[in-house]
Amino acid sequence: MTAWQQVVALIGLRWRLVRSLPVRLGLLAGLAAVPLLAWLIVAGSDTVGPEAYAAATTAASAAYLGFGLLALIAPLTAGGGTELLPPDQLVAYPVRPSTQFLASLVLAPLNLVWVVQLLVLVTETALLTRGAAHPWLGGATTAGYVIACTATGQAIAWAAVGLRRTVAGRRLARGVLVTVSVAFLVIIRTGYGKDVVRRSFSPDVVAAVAAAGARDARHWLAVTAAVFGVAAVAVLAGSRACGWALRRPGDVGSEVASRIVRRRTEAPSALRALLAIDRASVWRAPALRRGALVLAILPGLAAAGAGLPWRSLVVLPGLVAAGGGLLFGINAFCLDASGALWLASLPHPPALVARSKALVTGETVLAGVVLAVISGSVRAVGTPTLPEVSAILASAVTCCVLVVAICLSSSVRRPHRADLVGPRDAVAPPGALVLASTRLALPAALLGLVLEGAAQSGIAWFPALLALPVAALSALWIWVSLGRYDDPVVRSRIIHVVASG
Amino acid sequence: MEPALLAQGLVVDFGKVRAVDGFDLSVVAGTSVALVGRNGAGKSTTMRVLAGVLPPSAGAVSVGGVSAGRDPSAVRALVGYCPDVGGLIPRATPWEHLQLAAKLRGMRPGWQARATDLLERFELTGAADRITSGFSHGMGRRLSVVLAAFHEPRVMLLDEPFDGVDPLGVEATLQVVREAQTTGAAVLVSTHLLHLAVEACTEAVVLKGGRVVGAAPAAELVGEPGRARYRELIA
Repeated sequence: MTAWQQVVALIGLRWRLVRSLPVRLGLLAGLAAVPLLAWLIVAGSDTVGPEAYAAATTAASAAYLGFGLLALIAPLTAGGGTELLPPDQLVAYPVRPSTQFLASLVLAPLNLVWVVQLLVLVTETALLTRGAAHPWLGGATTAGYVIACTATGQAIAWAAVGLRRTVAGRRLARGVLVTVSVAFLVIIRTGYGKDVVRRSFSPDVVAAVAAAGARDARHWLAVTAAVFGVAAVAVLAGSRACGWALRRPGDVGSEVASRIVRRRTEAPSALRALLAIDRASVWRAPALRRGALVLAILPGLAAAGAGLPWRSLVVLPGLVAAGGGLLFGINAFCLDASGALWLASLPHPPALVARSKALVTGETVLAGVVLAVISGSVRAVGTPTLPEVSAILASAVTCCVLVVAICLSSSVRRPHRADLVGPRDAVAPPGALVLASTRLALPAALLGLVLEGAAQSGIAWFPALLALPVAALSALWIWVSLGRYDDPVVRSRIIHVVASG
Repeated sequence: MEPALLAQGLVVDFGKVRAVDGFDLSVVAGTSVALVGRNGAGKSTTMRVLAGVLPPSAGAVSVGGVSAGRDPSAVRALVGYCPDVGGLIPRATPWEHLQLAAKLRGMRPGWQARATDLLERFELTGAADRITSGFSHGMGRRLSVVLAAFHEPRVMLLDEPFDGVDPLGVEATLQVVREAQTTGAAVLVSTHLLHLAVEACTEAVVLKGGRVVGAAPAAELVGEPGRARYRELIA
């Protein structure tokens, strides 16, 4: 059986394991939505006015480079890419390393940010090839570029996984991370961002896409052949890197599991004791710790790097909060795993466990939002108006409450078993994560946009007034979810699912 | 004499599947009962109901005269439960489990001495501050027994406590069961291992299809005649 055949078989198995009809329909709708949106973008590109057209084409190089960076960072932050099935469930089967690599490559699009960035590239391609006889030639270049970036990102991420299997490798990886972060900060501080974009490979790709529209066949052919060549090499190198990484002994998970932990003083209350355990459960899971660090650093760096105007900072909390919720909040009870059985046998009000999970989710989300807003405000353009400050604060608080409400509801209604032992373990299966990211990001982003609009009213209290009912309804939603967890039948179902295995 | 643990007409349905079908049991204080039966007989589901983790579809449970339906928290305070699978919070250490149990059970200061003693007896002292996801299966089982026995419960429910445990761990578990009996606790041990069930308990109850199909003094299930009788009951 070839690696591709194994991937097809595993995807088939994964699909059969999705038992819920609404979830299946949601996934199919999501799959259908992407080409539909792309078609709508292409069809509507002719209606774009000259100013918007000029702005979009000017930003094309940055957009292409941005996709490349995302394709590189996303699998690195996921510890080597998404897995179709947890490794312990495949251990009895002869699954090849190349299958694992190809599976993570196939699953790379199951990422809302990746999809959004893809749609940005579709928009750019449609505009760059507007009026061309064969716009699909530009589309081919963009497709090749997307595949090349995604495969290269996956290959580098797997190499990083292999590197991090030893203590020296982990030190080296940390050194590279610090160096890149410092370099990024220097670029931001010195204002060389545009030079970096100009000297990168993306202007060549943009020129090739545009050349397809202008019938410059030679340049188009050279660049398109190059991106497809890079894609092919990256796929081959990625398979090798994945095999090398998986053959190397030791990983972060086993190191954490064998480490001696310092004893803490006794917590003063039952809730504080549960909170301490939940915080430790997050921080000691390699995948969650890495995710929390990414959440703490990346959005802030991106916001600082972009030098956003103050009104754009109103949207930022919603996006960061959604990312924070996706970390573990959407399946918060999985933190207890099989310990949920023992915990449920202890004498305490059951809602206390759910409150602890909600609080830990809330503080994680809030920390990410606060760091991102502070970082973003450092290089924000101009001086903020009072309505803008009011909108940013209202957005930060309300988005956090909203995300906690969605997360707790999701944790109660749709629990999943998740071990979170290894660096690539996720809190939910890939499809469930996509649906959850949509459920989190759409309302949070919408709220941010509404409050951004409210900030333009010039009335300082208007954003807070709009946010108040949303915050109140979200708080009510949290209260309802806590009540649902108090129901012994609902609670026992959650415990049964998270403790299974 | 009022039973320490009383289950009457327990029924547990998972959708259309009936996992426990009219389970009745009475365990007197100071005795130990083995719950034996084949895979899928309903032993672990019954134990979860008795521990207050799973609500029954019908029937009633009382511990020390307290109804689990009316006051589940009071019942949990009287019970010590070792679940069949894992039963440990994966990224917490044994000491953190004990700290949490002491806090939620409202144990008095000084619980550390009891905790240290149990960890020593189960040879877990060296691992007391390591997170449990790195434990072997047997170590996890031993810690689960420690947690069940920690607060000296009136009723101790041990679900597969011997599974994958080495001989020294088995001996420590048997010792804990004997001590609990001596102090007047009722012990219910669910296991596949008939010879250990016989060694740990005074009575044995055979479960099949979610209902009790036989009961006998544990001594009658000893040796080949005992095994033959057991095979008859579960067939």
